[in-house]
Amino acid sequence: MPAVIVALAIVFGSINPNFWSATNLANVSRQMSILALLALGQTFAILSGGIDLSVGSLLALVSVICAQQMKNFGLVEGIVAGILAGGFAGLVNGLIVARARVPPFIATLGMLVAARGAALTLSGGLPIAGLPREFLVLGAGYIGPFPIPTVIAAVAFVLAHGILRRTRFGRYVYAMGSNEEAAVLSGINVANYKMLVYITSGLFAGIAGVILTSRVISGQPTLGEVQELYSIAAVVIGGGRISGGVGGIGTTLMGVLVLGILGNGLNLVQVSSYIQNIVIGAIIVGAVYVDLARERRR
Amino acid sequence: MIEAMKRGAAVTFAALVLIGCGRGTQPSQEAATPGAAQAIVTEAVTEYARPAKPSKAYRIGVSIPHLANPHYVGQAYGYIDEAQSLGAQVTLLEAGGYEHLDKQVSQVEDLIASKVDAIIIAAISGPGTVGAVEAAAAAGIPVINVNVMTDSDKVVTRIRSDDDVIGRMQADFMGERLKGAGNVVMLRGAPGTSWAEIRGNAFRKELATKYPNVKVLGEQYSQSTPVDGLRLMEDFLQTFPQISGVYNGADSTAVGAAQAVKGAGKAGAIVMTATDFQLDTEKFIREGVISASVLQQPVTMGRWGVRAAISYLEKKPVPPVMFTGLMTATKENLGNLDLTAVRAPAGWTPPAR
Repeated sequence: MPAVIVALAIVFGSINPNFWSATNLANVSRQMSILALLALGQTFAILSGGIDLSVGSLLALVSVICAQQMKNFGLVEGIVAGILAGGFAGLVNGLIVARARVPPFIATLGMLVAARGAALTLSGGLPIAGLPREFLVLGAGYIGPFPIPTVIAAVAFVLAHGILRRTRFGRYVYAMGSNEEAAVLSGINVANYKMLVYITSGLFAGIAGVILTSRVISGQPTLGEVQELYSIAAVVIGGGRISGGVGGIGTTLMGVLVLGILGNGLNLVQVSSYIQNIVIGAIIVGAVYVDLARERRR
Repeated sequence: MIEAMKRGAAVTFAALVLIGCGRGTQPSQEAATPGAAQAIVTEAVTEYARPAKPSKAYRIGVSIPHLANPHYVGQAYGYIDEAQSLGAQVTLLEAGGYEHLDKQVSQVEDLIASKVDAIIIAAISGPGTVGAVEAAAAAGIPVINVNVMTDSDKVVTRIRSDDDVIGRMQADFMGERLKGAGNVVMLRGAPGTSWAEIRGNAFRKELATKYPNVKVLGEQYSQSTPVDGLRLMEDFLQTFPQISGVYNGADSTAVGAAQAVKGAGKAGAIVMTATDFQLDTEKFIREGVISASVLQQPVTMGRWGVRAAISYLEKKPVPPVMFTGLMTATKENLGNLDLTAVRAPAGWTPPAR
């Protein structure tokens, strides 16, 4: 997979030298940061043997709540409210999955539809404008040469990697995804850790939603359509197993890079956005096929 | 032929109480366009000639909401054809629909990164594009705003229809046809766009002042697709059986709504007004389902966008606001409309990108 990423970068760079410009690299990484954060949360969900279909709609709900609270109470209050809204939606997902034992696909599908509806209801379907201009810095600003969203996503990657590799929660996520029954029998409180998985995913969606709100400097109830599917694609393209237990932050990072570089590169070399969709679709299936073929050969 | 054209114009005039005295500037004028009545009320520039061909081949990036309706295909043709005449190269990016604001923002960033000489944007969302437009301005790339307005003031010029007039023309037509009394519903179009807001508000205001007995029962925003128009109109017909008029801020919702009205057996009994002129709109006007449509000139918008970009790059003055023309299509004048500024030539498709 790293070879594919290098190849993509070389091809795009040779067709349009601007691909390698500092502006564009900053650009790609900033655009990728939203998908990266969603994919991180999705990694937890999929690794644990579940899935979180609600993250795309949560971007919209978080955006609306963040914008409204920011207008009512202030900058920091808006940001905190947005992130907490994501976490709360995750908690609801977790309760439905872990306590009510509704399959994750169904539980989060319900949230996908309901969160979009809530975003539209709260906003009346209209964008919420008039946010403080300083808020623009979060999405558009830089720390040194690095865009702020890129830095946030990078920190989140390190943090998530640490959680998965070095905490009990992380080990149990893998255990639940590999064999849930065994996890239960070995005394893991599966229900509690499942709730934690969906809260984590919701919190990452909350952070992503707040950054996206800053990028469009308004609350937007239509944001994030089909982003949940791209986040799933990012997890599996890199080599994460869709049924859980296999994968991690590293493989998800690969998937995010492939999707991000493709999207930006195809724009830069002026490939039709219709054709882009065909290419991305083929790559999702192709990458997983190659992965499976390699596994079978072993 | 000339007679027919004049008759067409006269009929349109009779059917429409054209507006224009409101702002105390120019009264409405009859257009040079044959067979069409054109109402332009403005302090804005309404003619914009092609500048001299520059010696340099400029690269212009264009970002539009989508290419899924003939309005934007016409606009795309305007950009590309005009660029050809002026020796410029156009990179045309479409976001795939009014719901993909984040994609448009990314596309503008990509255009900045590929260092185009100028960016032309039809903004998916007024507030939502402020950051992207200001990033372009900060990178020293001039931004021309066409058709749908961004809330940022860091633009060289704004080129659009007088959306206020589009709303008022529909209100006047509605008020006249309903003889001053009736119940209407509104399909406003894409939420958060300048056109949906300005047209819809003007429609309401004009009705309230001139035809107070024409009541607005309800309004809905939606993506501007026929599917949304069909669904919303079917629901409206169930909720309010007494509907006698339908306003449409966009042509694609009108096509869906017309299907719903026709399906309910109320074609002709309900006065439907629309904006723009896709082939289905024309068909429904011919059948008498849609009563009138206000036609914008997307091809002109595209041409003027490229002209403004190149004039600015050549250090020539560019007027800050420009309004492209409007005309009204009704069953009576259908054969007499000059559509060169309204539609791309038959068979033209946007380049595959």
